[in-house]
This record gives sequence, C-alpha cells and structure tokens, in this order.
Amino acid sequence: MDETNNKDSVTTRRKFIAILVGFMASVNALALGVPFIRTLVSASGGRREEAWTRVGELGSFPAGEPMEARFATLTVEAYQHKSVLNSAWVVKKSDTEVTVFSPICTHLGCHYAWNVETGHFECPCHASVFAPDGSVLSGPAPRPLDTLPVKTENGVLFVRWERFRTGSPNKIIV
Amino acid sequence: MLRSIGQWLDQRWPFSSLTRLTLEEEIPGGARFAYTLGSGTLIVFLLQAVTGIMQLFFYVPATDYAYDSISFLRTKVPFGWLIHGLHYWGANLMVVLVVLHICRVFLWGAYKRPRELTWLGGTALFLTVMAFSFTGGPLHWDQRGYWAGEVGTSIAGTAPVVGDLMKRILRGGEEMGPLTLSRFFVVHTAILPPALISLFLFHIIAMRRFGSVGPWTEAKREPKGPFWPDQVFKDAITGTAVFLLLVGLAAYLPPSYSGPADPLDTSYVPKPEWNFLFLYQALKYFQGALEPVGTMGVPAVLVLLLVLLPFIDRNPERNPFRRPVAVFCAFVLAAVITWLTIAGYRSKGFAQPGVKAKPQTSLVTRHGKDYIDIVLSVLTPETARAAEVPSALEKGAAPGAEDPDIKKMSGPPGIAAYSIGNAERGAALFRKHCSQCHGPEGVNKNPNPGSNDGKIPDLNPIDREIYSDNPDVFASHIDHFIQHGSVPEGANPVIRMPAFGDTNTLTQPQVSNIEAYILHLNGIDRAKIMNPGMRPRSFFGLLAAAYGLAALWIGGLWRRKRL
Repeated sequence: MDETNNKDSVTTRRKFIAILVGFMASVNALALGVPFIRTLVSASGGRREEAWTRVGELGSFPAGEPMEARFATLTVEAYQHKSVLNSAWVVKKSDTEVTVFSPICTHLGCHYAWNVETGHFECPCHASVFAPDGSVLSGPAPRPLDTLPVKTENGVLFVRWERFRTGSPNKIIV
Repeated sequence: MLRSIGQWLDQRWPFSSLTRLTLEEEIPGGARFAYTLGSGTLIVFLLQAVTGIMQLFFYVPATDYAYDSISFLRTKVPFGWLIHGLHYWGANLMVVLVVLHICRVFLWGAYKRPRELTWLGGTALFLTVMAFSFTGGPLHWDQRGYWAGEVGTSIAGTAPVVGDLMKRILRGGEEMGPLTLSRFFVVHTAILPPALISLFLFHIIAMRRFGSVGPWTEAKREPKGPFWPDQVFKDAITGTAVFLLLVGLAAYLPPSYSGPADPLDTSYVPKPEWNFLFLYQALKYFQGALEPVGTMGVPAVLVLLLVLLPFIDRNPERNPFRRPVAVFCAFVLAAVITWLTIAGYRSKGFAQPGVKAKPQTSLVTRHGKDYIDIVLSVLTPETARAAEVPSALEKGAAPGAEDPDIKKMSGPPGIAAYSIGNAERGAALFRKHCSQCHGPEGVNKNPNPGSNDGKIPDLNPIDREIYSDNPDVFASHIDHFIQHGSVPEGANPVIRMPAFGDTNTLTQPQVSNIEAYILHLNGIDRAKIMNPGMRPRSFFGLLAAAYGLAALWIGGLWRRKRL
C-alpha cells in the first residue's frame, strides 16, 4: 500500500477491499446460482429409448371398425420404472394396413371416443370431430390425430408408446 | 430514486442500523485468517442448506426410491452431480472446520470467563453438526449409509436401561426399515436445521457481547482493526477457497456408489463415517460387561469435558505457552482421538452384537433364506464344474427351463437393472457366482456342447446386441439373463444359465453390483453422468480460471509487465 497519501489511501483501500469482497460474492453466487437454476429449469432425465409394446394379435382387430386396445407399457418417469396401462385406437383396413392413433386429442389432451352412429372420433371436451383416418372434420383441434409407430411380427401388432405436444399445429414428440 | 426508496424502507425497518450493528466491530490486534474458521463453517452451513434444499426437489425418503432418486439426481439432472457432490463434501468439510475452529478457540483461550456461554453454544453447535452427519448418511439408503445407521442405532441400543427404548425410537421399530428412513429424514431436514440456526444466533450474540478475544499478548492487542471490511475480506477469501475446494472435490472425487442397501449382505463390513471412527474404535476395548462404558461412557465423558471446560479451567491466562497443563491434556486427547480414528480406519471391522441381517424384501422369508442356502450350496464351484454333465443345476435352479419362451429374453427386467451397483462388490460376486462358466473377468473359453455357439457366451467383450453405451439400456439387457436365466439356442445345450434373480440366489442389489461390474468390463461406467449440465471438470476449470484471471489482474502482473 502506498503510505504517502494517508487519508486517501485509507478510503481507497476500504473501497478496494469492498470491491474484492463483492467480486468474490458475485462469482460464487453465479457459480451456484446459474447451475441451480439450470437444475430446476432444464429438462432432467437421460436418453430415452421407448421399447416396442405388444398390443395383440392382428387377427383380433375387426377390419374397418376402430377399436380401442389396452396394453401395459414399461415406462420410465425419472427414477420410477413401472408398468403403466395405456390405450390406443387401432384402425385396421386390412391385415397389411394398420394405423394406431394415440388416444389423446391434439387440442388439449382429452381422451376422445369412437361414435359408432356417426362413424367419427369425437372429443367430449371441446367437440373436436375426427374422421376414421384421423383428419379434423370440425372443432378446435389444430392437427389430425397423432399416429403411433407400428410394426407387425408374425401376426402380432406392436406399437411404440409416444406422447406429443397438445395444442400445436405440428406433431412434436415430448 | 433508489435512494428515496432506500430511505422510505429504512424509516420503517432498521436496515441500516442492523447492517451497522452487524459490521461495526473492532477486533483487537486486527483481522486474521485464524479467525475465519468460524465464518468458514457458517459459509459451509449455508452451502449445505442451499444444496440440501436443492436435493429435496429430487430426493424421496422411501426405501424403494431413496437410492435411485439420488442416482437420478446425480446422473440425469443438470448439475445434479454438483449439488450432491457439494453436499457430500461440504458435510465432511464442515466437521473438519468445526474441529479446527474448536482447536483455535482452545489455543486462544477464548472459552474463558466471561465467554463461557459462547463456548457452550459452540459445544451445542458441534453436537448438532455431528447429529447432522449421523442422520445424513443413511438417507442414501445405500450400503454405506444403511450399515452406518444400523451400527449407530445398535450402539445406542447397548446403553444400560434405556438402550432398547432409544434404539426403538431412533429406528421407529425393532429393525431398520422405512420408518427409520423417515425418522432420519425428518431429523436431518426439519429438526436439526432450525436447531442449528437458533444455536448459531445464540453463539454469535454471545460472542459479540464481549467481542473478539484477540491476541493473548497485551502488546499485540493494539491497534484494533475493523470487522468490515478487513475481517470480512479474509472471511471471503477463506470462504472462496473452501468453495473452490468443494467444487474441485465434487468434480474430481465424486462420492462413490456403494450400491443399494442390502440387509441380506452379511459380507459387508459396516463402519461408521470417519468422524465417528474414534468412538467405534474405542468401543473395541470395552467388551462384555464393560460394553456400555465404551458405547455410552466414552462419548458422555467427552461431551462433559467439552461442556465443563470453561468451569474446570478457570485460570485467566490465555497464552497457550503459559498454560502447559491444559494444552498438554488437549494435545494428548487430540492425539488419542487421531490415533483411534486411524486405527478404526485401518481395522477390518468387527461384528456388532446387535447387528444381524434382516430380510428386507418380501421375496425372502425365513424359508427363502433356507432356500438360498440350498441354492448356494448347489452353486459351489465343485458342483458347478460338474455341470458339464447335465446335472441338478438347471433343474434345481432354473424352474423356467421348460418354458420355451425363456430361450429368448423373457420377462421384464427386475428392479436391479435400474439401480447403480458397485462394480467392486460386483467383481467379488462375479468371481463367486459367474466366473466358473463365463471365465475370469468374463473372458471365456468354456465349451457348451449341444448349443449352436458351442461355447458359453463371452461377457468381455459382450455380444454387440446386448452392449449399449447407455448404461441403463446395457444393464437392462444383461438383467434379463441374470434374473430369468436362459437356455442357449441349439439342439440340446448342456449348460444353461440359471435364473439368479427369480430363484433369489442373488439379491437384487447383488444383481445390480454384478451388472455394474460387467458394464465396467466392457468399458462402460454404470454411473456415467448422462445429463451433466456441464462436464464436472470443465465447470471446475471455468471457475478456477475466473479466479486465476482475477488474481492475476489484482496482483497487477500485467501492469508490472508494462513497466
């Protein structure tokens, strides 16, 4: 420290130290604050690899008429691994042409149902109506029904359970 | 504008006078680094509070999920490794700092009249920190924490008269279980923190009543130095050094995964945390009828010694060189505790009389345990080698062998697939249960006539279809085989893989450990951080670089170069 200008050096020294303390406090606060906010805000979870789930024998689904299928999916929610019952609408045109729709309405995530009389999928929440091919006939739904990945092996139908963002005009996997 | 808001606030709440009250203190002889140990402890406590609360966002105090929720935090939450690492190392460092602080206060004679209450408050704080340490470990519900809790509560159980009651209160029942975890959790997160904060306020107010004690030689007590900014500056430097040290430890020495708690694993040598090792070691010298002396007497005497110190040692002299008896006694005590700690650390451990393995999973009843013994006897190396001839092995140990589905991987993975095992324990288990067929370290040359491959599958390197660089996927692939066994494809394979999980030959934590080992053999860390936020070492490097540059700048090196 420069001792020649005593009165000034005392005050600048105080200020200097205060700045240093402030610097250390801010760097440490940043070093904790930024990661911890990231912890709470960013998505957690590892790489997900959804497995194929067996839905049923292809022959057991009626041709032409949509049918709701229930199947247990092994799901991973954070640290919980458990079997969860999911459903999907299976629309079989022929034994080679099968579409499986996610049971979740693309508007706000309600579960829609098949109306036998009208031959449409109808959502009870906001009256969206979908054709058997999934396209929107009326109502607020922003996009057609979401299809799930499908494969058949030895006459057995498998789907991969996926969820998509609701309310968006594009099909975005979540 | 800001000024007027400040004035408005200050008229209604005494912000500035409170700040002045906190910061305006004259320290005899000026600021010193020796005085930063107390504030260093406070800084670590604040860090523990913040990281503890962060952990509460993810941790589940239930035996099924405690271990996996912490593993999830550490590997799949951005900066989870930092949060857990800081909390783990902070807990250890806090004990170190508290002990150093006590030594400093002792040497300076700061416990003497009129500062007895400061010392007593400090003693209570020390015991609170030890209680934090004791209740924190078992919350992991991993092998280390589970057994430390088991031993600790058993020790409480040896106390005369009230021992059983104390043990039952601590455990919430006769045995370690879900209620024990809840109790430790509540004490650790709801009872001890407010206790520590109250005691800290008591301690700091008592301290400020008479101020810093200052140097013991009268000549050095002048001139006085201000607390702000001089002492605060030194506190900040110590605090920052401590923080950097903790981040470095979290990055370079992450706490090890000791594997999920396995109450059936009798081969695990339970030991308490290092800061309780001296008590644990002292216990060994009091056996039989003298046992309560070791379990209760020794800690009681130590606590009493701390509490009564200011009343026993009433000599007003503070210079350590002029109070040889007190300093000598303290030195002997410190030496004994250090020696006991080292001896305890190096010892092989001993069977605690109250400790016995208790079946935890519903699968393993008393019958189950007998069954395990039978299966284990079937699987001893001699009989297993004889399995080249079709033997009782597959009939006895693989009930699903007739099921054609078992040829493929069948059934879902067991719970073991999702828990991070301890590869070292896994190696020992592998040698015992797997290497007869799969070869040492999974390198195999054993034939398997009748199977299409003609030999037992290699585990090192493993089939590419089973391998994955995602440890969860890799482990769940292996898990199918260990849980349910398998029959190799082929006309009539002689050797079949027994269903180690389905038959309870191995417990689920043991399966996790073996999986961690097989992943390790194939170059995959079971505890790989999948979602780090930022790589631990990069984060530490960045922080260190920020301080390094700041130090260079403050040190004026660049300016000197210019001259």
